[in-house]
Amino acid sequence: MKRKIQYILALAVLISMTVQAQQPKGKYATFALTHATIQTVTKGIIQDGTVILSQGKITAVGANVSIPAGAEVVDCKGKWIYPGLIDGGTTLGLSEVGSDSRTQDFNEVGDVIPQMKALTAVNPNSALIPVTRISGVTTVIAAPEGDLVPGTAALINLYGYTPDQMYAGFEGVVLNFPNTGRKGFFDRRTDEDIKKAAEKAMTRINSVWEMAVQYYKLDSATKSKGVGYYPEMEALLPVVKGERTLMIEANASKDIQAALKWVKDHKVKKVILTGVAEGWRVADEIAKANIPVVAGPVQELPTRDYDRYDKPYANPGLLKKAGVKVALRTAQASNVRNLPYHAAFAAAYGLGKEEALRAVTIVPAEIFGVSDKLGSIEVGKNATVLVSDGDPFETKTNILQVYIDGWQVPMVSRQTLLYDEFLHRDPGVTKN
Amino acid sequence: MKSIYLKHLFTAMVLVLGLGMPTLLRAQEERTLGPVSGTYAITNVTVIQAPGRKLDMGTVVIKNGIITAVGKGIAVPPEAIVIKGDSLFVYAGFIDGLSRTGVIKPKEETKEKVKDPGNPPPDRAGITPQNDVRNFLSPTDKTVEDLRALGFTTAQVVPYGGMLPGNAAVVSLGGKSADEMVLASKTALYSEFTTAERIYPATVLGVMAKYRELYRQAAQAKSYESLYASNRTGLERPSPDRILEAFYPVIDKREPVLFKAEKILDVQRAITLQTDLGFSLVAANVKEGWDVLPKIKSGNVKVFLSLDLPEEKKDEKKDDKKDVKKEEKAKPDPEKDKLEKRKAEFVTLYAAQPTAFQKAGVPFGFSTLTAKTKDIPANLRRMIKEGLTEDQALAALTINAAQILGMSDRLGSIDNGKIANLVITRKPYFNEKAQVRYVFVDGVVYKYEPKEEKKADAKKIDVSGTWSYSIETPQGANTGKLKLKKQGDNYSGTITSQYADKEVELKTVSLDNNQLTYSYSLQVEGSTVNVDAAVTVDVDTFEGSVTTAQYGSFPTKGTKDPNR
Amino acid sequence: MKKIFYSFALLALVTFAHAQVERGNLLIKNGTVLTVTKGTFENTDVLVKDGKITQIGKNIAAPAGVKVIDATGQFVMPGIIDAHSHAGLDAINEATSPVTAEVFTGDVLNPFQVTLYRALGGGVTTIHAMHGSANAIGGQCETIKLRYGVKDGDGLRMEGAPRTIKFALGENPTRVHGGGSSIVPRTRMGVEFVIRESFSKAKEYMEAWDKYNKAKTQKGFRGTPPAYNLRLETLAEILKGNIIIHCHSYRADEINMLLNVCKDFGVKRLVFQHVNEGFKVAPELAKFGAMASVFADWWAYKFEVYYSTAYNAAILTRNGVVTSINSDDAELMRHLYHEAAKTQKYGNLSDDEALALITLNPAKQLGIDARVGSLEVGKEADIAIFNSHPLSSYTIPMITVVDGVVRFDREKDADDVRIYVDPTQAVDIATIQGGEQEDHCMDGAEDAFGKLFGLN
Repeated sequence: MKRKIQYILALAVLISMTVQAQQPKGKYATFALTHATIQTVTKGIIQDGTVILSQGKITAVGANVSIPAGAEVVDCKGKWIYPGLIDGGTTLGLSEVGSDSRTQDFNEVGDVIPQMKALTAVNPNSALIPVTRISGVTTVIAAPEGDLVPGTAALINLYGYTPDQMYAGFEGVVLNFPNTGRKGFFDRRTDEDIKKAAEKAMTRINSVWEMAVQYYKLDSATKSKGVGYYPEMEALLPVVKGERTLMIEANASKDIQAALKWVKDHKVKKVILTGVAEGWRVADEIAKANIPVVAGPVQELPTRDYDRYDKPYANPGLLKKAGVKVALRTAQASNVRNLPYHAAFAAAYGLGKEEALRAVTIVPAEIFGVSDKLGSIEVGKNATVLVSDGDPFETKTNILQVYIDGWQVPMVSRQTLLYDEFLHRDPGVTKN
Repeated sequence: MKSIYLKHLFTAMVLVLGLGMPTLLRAQEERTLGPVSGTYAITNVTVIQAPGRKLDMGTVVIKNGIITAVGKGIAVPPEAIVIKGDSLFVYAGFIDGLSRTGVIKPKEETKEKVKDPGNPPPDRAGITPQNDVRNFLSPTDKTVEDLRALGFTTAQVVPYGGMLPGNAAVVSLGGKSADEMVLASKTALYSEFTTAERIYPATVLGVMAKYRELYRQAAQAKSYESLYASNRTGLERPSPDRILEAFYPVIDKREPVLFKAEKILDVQRAITLQTDLGFSLVAANVKEGWDVLPKIKSGNVKVFLSLDLPEEKKDEKKDDKKDVKKEEKAKPDPEKDKLEKRKAEFVTLYAAQPTAFQKAGVPFGFSTLTAKTKDIPANLRRMIKEGLTEDQALAALTINAAQILGMSDRLGSIDNGKIANLVITRKPYFNEKAQVRYVFVDGVVYKYEPKEEKKADAKKIDVSGTWSYSIETPQGANTGKLKLKKQGDNYSGTITSQYADKEVELKTVSLDNNQLTYSYSLQVEGSTVNVDAAVTVDVDTFEGSVTTAQYGSFPTKGTKDPNR
Repeated sequence: MKKIFYSFALLALVTFAHAQVERGNLLIKNGTVLTVTKGTFENTDVLVKDGKITQIGKNIAAPAGVKVIDATGQFVMPGIIDAHSHAGLDAINEATSPVTAEVFTGDVLNPFQVTLYRALGGGVTTIHAMHGSANAIGGQCETIKLRYGVKDGDGLRMEGAPRTIKFALGENPTRVHGGGSSIVPRTRMGVEFVIRESFSKAKEYMEAWDKYNKAKTQKGFRGTPPAYNLRLETLAEILKGNIIIHCHSYRADEINMLLNVCKDFGVKRLVFQHVNEGFKVAPELAKFGAMASVFADWWAYKFEVYYSTAYNAAILTRNGVVTSINSDDAELMRHLYHEAAKTQKYGNLSDDEALALITLNPAKQLGIDARVGSLEVGKEADIAIFNSHPLSSYTIPMITVVDGVVRFDREKDADDVRIYVDPTQAVDIATIQGGEQEDHCMDGAEDAFGKLFGLN
């Protein structure tokens, strides 16, 4: 009997441990990260410094910071602190299993559907999110994909139980600019057909924009009272007004040029170019238009068989050199965790380490209009930082702790749990 | 006169009423009148008997299809029809090493779905080596007339099909019946790297393996049959298999394998099979063979080079200065210029291929399989421009081809006793203004009026009718019928697809000059797939692509079915 | 007598093939030499003669006329080997039948693919050019060296490398055949059956031929030979141990299944490919002696890789399984050195352990470890030179050498490296790649029409 009770107790402990191991909770407190090397990004590197995280904000940064009473002190001696990394374009949270359309929520029916909001469909419980955030990527654009205007993308922080808790303060309407390139290996249309399809799409976009402008005029003239329910136009209205960013995906050099011209002709006020695979071909023109870009993926093949093999790696550097403001993206769901390595490749092939770091921190924060909250370690910004044992772009560096909006995030994912369980499996080959 | 006519008409009407329409038609048919003599003499003509053997002011006499005299000052037989050859040039008729000239494409029947795509019936897999092109010949096919008009009198032709379409034959481009055309039958076992449609072999991987397996099975069956033939008692009876039997003459080297091998890798793959299996190889319609020359040479591969060349980039004419728009003024683009230059260099390599073969000492003929007939003379001139001499070009068109086919006793030069295949031109053949005036095929003359430089009528294309189309996918071709109807200036139509049970109504059809576009929807596993096609029509063929929003595009081709 | 003649012919053929391969002489001076097997040496030279490494040491004098590469400050490692690639092939999947052992990717080599050059730009020298995974038993694969510049597929072959064949378990074969054509297999049960059935038939075939051949030696023998069948011929070679199985697999249960099948048929040479759940059966793999070739971190692109972990390679290695990291992808292939480095983050592998994942271990899996996979005297001179440690994410491959011939040199790299130019292609059309990663084993089996019309 006694034995049985012991057994049950042991079992209960085991179960509770398992549960705890599988569903550890975040911790919200005042944290003092001390004796760290702090890469502020915007204000240089602070040696042996302290960062205070309190009430979800960074409340103090520096070499001589007094630790508030009640703060939980985390000794970061020999460790580094960086701002959380930002991926400028993913489908994270919108896609769970790549081949299963039932688990994918980034591609709605319709060619012009700006009213479709990615934020709505972000699954806070996606198994992909913990895998991503424990790599130091704390904030991503979750973007819809599809036809001409597939919807509205959202910037999300990778911690929270609802999309609202995750929302990071930026939404942008996505426009896939008509593509004169081939859409991958299986696209065997004739050059003529590609051109025609692009022209047709161009006509469609122009007419949609014209309608949006009309809608805007009507809306202004009637103080919003003369317009009926028209979700597409309502979603485009802030873009026409210049209150919301238009994120224009363009990759082939010709398309980028056409997009620049279109933006100019239609006087679109807030614009980001995304993708820009062949941005290097027309880098000067992008710089001249003064439009920022979210480039990537960096680890990608060249767009043409006669292009130099390293062009995708060199693209961000070449853009930057021409004077373009460059942020990076992985354009992934399952391996957004590799953002630091995309940045490392860009750094090695011409962008340089410093600019590469900016391209995944302060630059995207600025481009998305959230540089008051994210992108660097400064007082007043969100407490979204990572602690590492080295340069987070270096492959073998371990991210030791991530804080998102002041929450100390549990550093586990399904992948780490599987490691813990199976490194030394028990039972091994024989069961008894 | 008039009354007689009326009387005839009256009789005809009685006949119509009494005996019906066919009689009337027959009554009005023009009777073909044969020539008054089978003997011809072409006099006073420049005779190019063979490359390097030229005879000025000579005479060629032919009798009942055979060349009976060639030379100077030859007496003209009294029964001869005389063609005054003053200022004309006569050559031996040209030989095409591989084409489907005069070969009828079998009607495509709607086929049942193959239940086990890994083990399809051989004909569905494209394995029909027992076929004989003689069963598909038609002397009246327009392709015969077209190729003949260029001076070709002989062609090695092959049936349509897949990886093993059947036996080739060497035919005359004339004659009244299929049998009359045939000069030699079973001249080669024709093979292609053509894959089957979503059934085995659906890739070149499968074609290579299947080829090896069939060949070795045939060798095994053949050797067992001879064992059986030596003493039948107590042995299992070999089961006859016409597919394997088709390989027997190849195994005995009585018949070569004629492989369509256009790209460099096709040539290499054909040689791989030759090396593995040991047959005699003729690589045909070769377009990219120059880098395989050492292998071709060491493998003793015989070659027919393609007369199809990639298009040259047209020099943008500077004379349309009138409408140089300011904004269109092309910015200098050094990158593009460099690429265009490389491409042009490569296009040149294709035209220089015969020269490369010549230099390597590999004899070759030509084949017209994929060449546009009207481009052939110009393509020959491009080859000559890249270093081939006119004699070498002529040799490839005549005596070399005859030798490769093993028929130089009958074909390939203007010599006594050879078949009376001749081409007579106004200027030397490789001159841009040559103009073919007469072609003799088997002693039968075809006459061509001097051409006026006429502008092509920009006559409106009518696309109505039934078209057979195929869509080329990496898995093989998808085929069906496209039926177009004209109503006023507009078209409508239907399409069949292997992915639809019945004809599907086209959603849109439009024709702009020669640009035809149409669209339709298919229901596939409960979801709608919209297909948009855009093709360029050239009289009775079209080429272009189909596009689906979800899955990209594929090239498509079509040919118009003959009107019934 | 006849046999003698055959072996003579074979010898002549091999010699001929050898004669075609270009072999170079080189002296690589003063680099940090990562031998992988014998340690790391600073300021060390590597001498190459006639395509082979003849000396590794300090201050080697350059023989007359030998090209010298100054590798001061640079890192010299064995050429990277990719045990899973579909590059250099014109066709990948003969997806029409659940068993296609008779087909051979060596028949469809395409030396003109720029992909091969780009892989050299990532330090890769040898790849396993594999058949796809549409079939339970796919085609035979070819091990090729990236001698980019040759114009003949034969020039790519790594002559003398053991024969290999692709098998595939799980979603792909069941979807293509069971789902697409209503032919077994539709489930993992069916996959096992198809493999067992094939092996059994091959065994019968082999025995029938043995019997016939034996009978034939009797004087006056007259009899019917078994019908020649190329598929069964190939399968019989697997049973005889002459062909190494490389099996596309993901889930632990299916891996375990193939181990059991192979045990039953006495098949010992077995490498699992992808094997995302290999970590779950690592002890079983180790006990069998089966090897594993994995992605560093790819997952979630389909359901059977949803329960994956980037620690897979480390868990397998720690459990004694010979493990490699492969690409299966033309882009990933360009930075296998970086993929290998991920095992230092996910599982703390040492530098040599991590480097072995892309050199010695894949060489073992392809049966070519006596010739390549490490920098040792006597081995073939397939060498990659990096500007910093190859496991750093900032490193850049500078020079790649195959058989002692420099096939890639970043300093001399030309923009346009195409060997053949398509004379019909427009010069300024870009191909924009899609974003999400997935394995490419189904290429060709899942073209647009395949997806449209029921292969899915």
